[in-house]
Amino acid sequence: MASAFESRRRNQLIIAAVVIVVMIALPLGIKDVYVQNILVLTVMYAALSQSWNILSGYCGQISLGHALYFGIGAYASTLLFVKFGVIPWFGMAIGGVFAAMIALIVGWPCFRLGGHYFTIATIVLAEIGLILFLNWDYAGAASGLQIPVSGDSWTTFTFLRSKLPYYYFALGLAAIVWLVTFFIEDSKWGYYWRAVRENTMAAQSLGVQVFRSKMAAAAVSAFFTAIGGSFYAQFVSYIDPDSVMVFQFSLLMALPAVIGGIGTLWGPALGAAILIPFTELTRSYMGGGGKGFDLIFYGAVIMIIALARPEGLLSLVTRTRHAPP
Amino acid sequence: MLSAANIAQILMSGLLMGLIYALIAAGLSLIFGLMDVVNFAHGEFLMTAMYATFGLVVLLSLDPLILSPIVAAIMFVVGAFCYRAIIVHAMRARTNVGMVQVFATFGLAITIRGLAQLVFTPDYRSIPKSWLGGQTFSVFGVYMPAPQLAGALASLLAFGALWLLMKRTDFGKALEATREDAGAVGLVGIDRNRVFAMGWGLGAALVGLAGAMLSIFYYIHPDVGGSFALIAYVTVALGGFGSVFGALAAGVIVGIVEAVSATVLQPSMKAIGIYAVYLLVVFLRPRGLFGHL
Amino acid sequence: MNTKITRREAGALVGGALTGAFGPGAARAQGKQILIGGLYPLSGANAQIGVDAKHAYDTALDVINNKHDLDLPLAKTEGLPNLGGAKLAMTFADHQSDPQKGRAEAERLITQDKVVALIGTYQSAVANTASVAAERYSIPFMGADTSSPSLHRRGLKFFFRAAPHDEFFTQTMFDFFDEMKKKGKPIESVALFYEDTIFGTDSSNVQRKLAGEKGIKVAADIKYRSNSPSLTAEVQQLKSANAQVLMPSSYTTDAILLMKTMAELGYKPAAILAQDAGFSEQTLFNAIGAAGEGVMTRSTFSLDLAQKKPSVGKVNELFKARSGKDLNDLTARQFTAAMVMADAINRSKTGEPQAIRDALAATDLPGEQTIMPWRRVKFDETGQNNDCTPVLLQRRGDKYVTVYPAEYAVGEVAWG
Repeated sequence: MASAFESRRRNQLIIAAVVIVVMIALPLGIKDVYVQNILVLTVMYAALSQSWNILSGYCGQISLGHALYFGIGAYASTLLFVKFGVIPWFGMAIGGVFAAMIALIVGWPCFRLGGHYFTIATIVLAEIGLILFLNWDYAGAASGLQIPVSGDSWTTFTFLRSKLPYYYFALGLAAIVWLVTFFIEDSKWGYYWRAVRENTMAAQSLGVQVFRSKMAAAAVSAFFTAIGGSFYAQFVSYIDPDSVMVFQFSLLMALPAVIGGIGTLWGPALGAAILIPFTELTRSYMGGGGKGFDLIFYGAVIMIIALARPEGLLSLVTRTRHAPP
Repeated sequence: MLSAANIAQILMSGLLMGLIYALIAAGLSLIFGLMDVVNFAHGEFLMTAMYATFGLVVLLSLDPLILSPIVAAIMFVVGAFCYRAIIVHAMRARTNVGMVQVFATFGLAITIRGLAQLVFTPDYRSIPKSWLGGQTFSVFGVYMPAPQLAGALASLLAFGALWLLMKRTDFGKALEATREDAGAVGLVGIDRNRVFAMGWGLGAALVGLAGAMLSIFYYIHPDVGGSFALIAYVTVALGGFGSVFGALAAGVIVGIVEAVSATVLQPSMKAIGIYAVYLLVVFLRPRGLFGHL
Repeated sequence: MNTKITRREAGALVGGALTGAFGPGAARAQGKQILIGGLYPLSGANAQIGVDAKHAYDTALDVINNKHDLDLPLAKTEGLPNLGGAKLAMTFADHQSDPQKGRAEAERLITQDKVVALIGTYQSAVANTASVAAERYSIPFMGADTSSPSLHRRGLKFFFRAAPHDEFFTQTMFDFFDEMKKKGKPIESVALFYEDTIFGTDSSNVQRKLAGEKGIKVAADIKYRSNSPSLTAEVQQLKSANAQVLMPSSYTTDAILLMKTMAELGYKPAAILAQDAGFSEQTLFNAIGAAGEGVMTRSTFSLDLAQKKPSVGKVNELFKARSGKDLNDLTARQFTAAMVMADAINRSKTGEPQAIRDALAATDLPGEQTIMPWRRVKFDETGQNNDCTPVLLQRRGDKYVTVYPAEYAVGEVAWG
């Protein structure tokens, strides 16, 4: 059993290596800026959704408020850059740590809540964050913050026309989050999380420290989500509360994982690879009419996938996973 | 400075709005209590009901008050249809049922919004003339707008009727039994799917009534559900999932807290008051005010 | 998709192929389709704005591409004469009010559709990112209907705005207050009521500043959450403050709710002077009926200008045939933006983006040749037109009447 499990893990790494090589090579053949933009978003959402997956997929705590951590990351690095001249590379790390701390602080009371009470608490907390930022004059309030872009620079992580630096950063982030998930899956924490997800009561009686497990998952998840937020701020070079902290973002982070396969290694990436190009293309090529066809189509596809493949599209390519020993 | 009349006005406005929030939340609470499903298309059901009212007013030139039972009936059909066409499939999922339901209903919400934009165009509509529209009563300087007053009364009547239905009818007993143990009711000859479909119909009919009352004094638009949906979720959770009458109490609390915090905090931050009360309550009582343990 | 444009494009392609036989020069001039991109919200809460904008631009294209007896640039000719009669076309993209999507669509229109210029975007936040993208590709960007003063202060070389920004608008309101004072009706206090968006913030900031300078008391300063389910508590505060003039900065949804709630709570200020937006929409007045009587708003446009400029009425008829609505402040600005852009493209002679940018910078269009009450269209070095005085309108019966400034006024202001 153990060796079969080991070889399966080895295979996962090989697949990951192949995927990353393909993804690194991909932009070499794609010069169109619009398509490159879609690639950046796809990889970014793969990373964000994987981060969400750590808390909600593996540990089973369904959060629909991750926009809070995304927004905190975006604002932390941007405020530090715009107001204090701290380069975004430090700002990103600070934002990530800060978001993880916030996740621990709000996790303290929230993780005593079960099921929908927890989910609604996450939505509500993100809304509170949104309203606070809308009213915080120092952070630009509703007018948001503009990141000055003078030229292509890796130091300030700003580029005028090229999307490729952003693409490779997002790809790197997605790869790191994937690796973190990969190692956690096989670690003590991974077992704890799955135990908490499957049956909290049973996990507790088996000596799993349920509360600490949830807190750890929340901190890791929030950290990477915030890095994603900092990245997005650099990528767009303009942020305002309505474009980085709205409920829509929380849903968009969860959706790829749900569509691809929640609580799986490859689900978020697969989901993002399908959903994001689909979203962008329906808007660009169906949305110009103002008739709502893009919404009808988009909504119907989400509904159909959710109903037809409840375990996610990944289950189409993989056999039923036998539970690890 | 706040005068006594001001305070009375704030409380009265909060109470009236709160009863309307309760009516909007009632259907959501009913459906959840029955089958553990959070309907993420609830706001869109409300929007559909408002457009149904608007369409009927234009077609039949009748007052929204008269039309409200018809709208509720239409929404009953819509709700039952959504259950039969969509939710029943979501319930069959063997894995992560919760997420499937969330995203199936979320997809449904977006589709309904698109359909509304297609059929009614994204223009803002409103019902310009009705018996109650623009009417207002004033008692000791406290204003009570007739449409809100009617909405609040409709809310109380609906909760009363719901109470009678649950406690006094066979259907109510079937609902109760199905809620207690959906598997076992099959043994005593209750068709689970039928009860669920009726439950969805009833839940949608309640929000249909809310939509008809709301359309008297609110604007109608494909995205209008969004403003009310989050308040409805918070109301249901605050009252306690599964407790329909908890939603009534919670609705009133939400309405009053909103009105008070708009005065105490800045108006742009008034929603924070509602959210803070929700968090405070569930931190102390993790099942809401009246939720089943 | 927009079949009209595709068909027109197809026609242009066929035309190009035919004339190609007569030599390369003719082919370039005749067959060249000049395409500009429009960025608008076409789904979501603001979709109606985008739908109306499309009608406004289609009206402008009609005037430019076909012969019309109007005193507007390019109206009397077919197409762009300096480019061999080439037709102007527009393609639209949906930015869903999201700055990131707005930028992506701007880049798509520039790189895939090869548009030579961009017009948009309604929301200032989207204009912010989309105009930066245009700058990076050296494509002229016209902010048709975005009013945030920050937009033209970013040092962009390819950003232009023919219409006024919020500071002009608010300045006009306070100039009007001065005038009332001279007439012996001084304004003592105002109540600011604005939404928590860029629009609301910018608008209220200038209002607060000018009120301070002119010694007018700000009796209430209320920022509210846009699209709230209820505005009862907010109106209650306005009522308690009881200012002489209520100055709302609200979009249609909140404007409807505000006016209805005011009636319900028995609050009627001596005057309402609105920062346009929702108050320029007929929808609002359909919803509130008689309660709209006497409401004032600032505007860049007024239909009763038709009495002084025949072209206004004719353009309005063309627009109404398409949309079923009268031109309003937004659609008139959109129409004008397209006309100014077309005029510059024609003067550029080549239709190349850099030449169009230079032509825009050299624009000097007399006010008579626009449908607006403007002195002229001439851009300063930041790309802002400073000769575009706004007007104040007042609601009389079922329409707005221009009441200020005197040179455009059609009626006397009813005050207090």
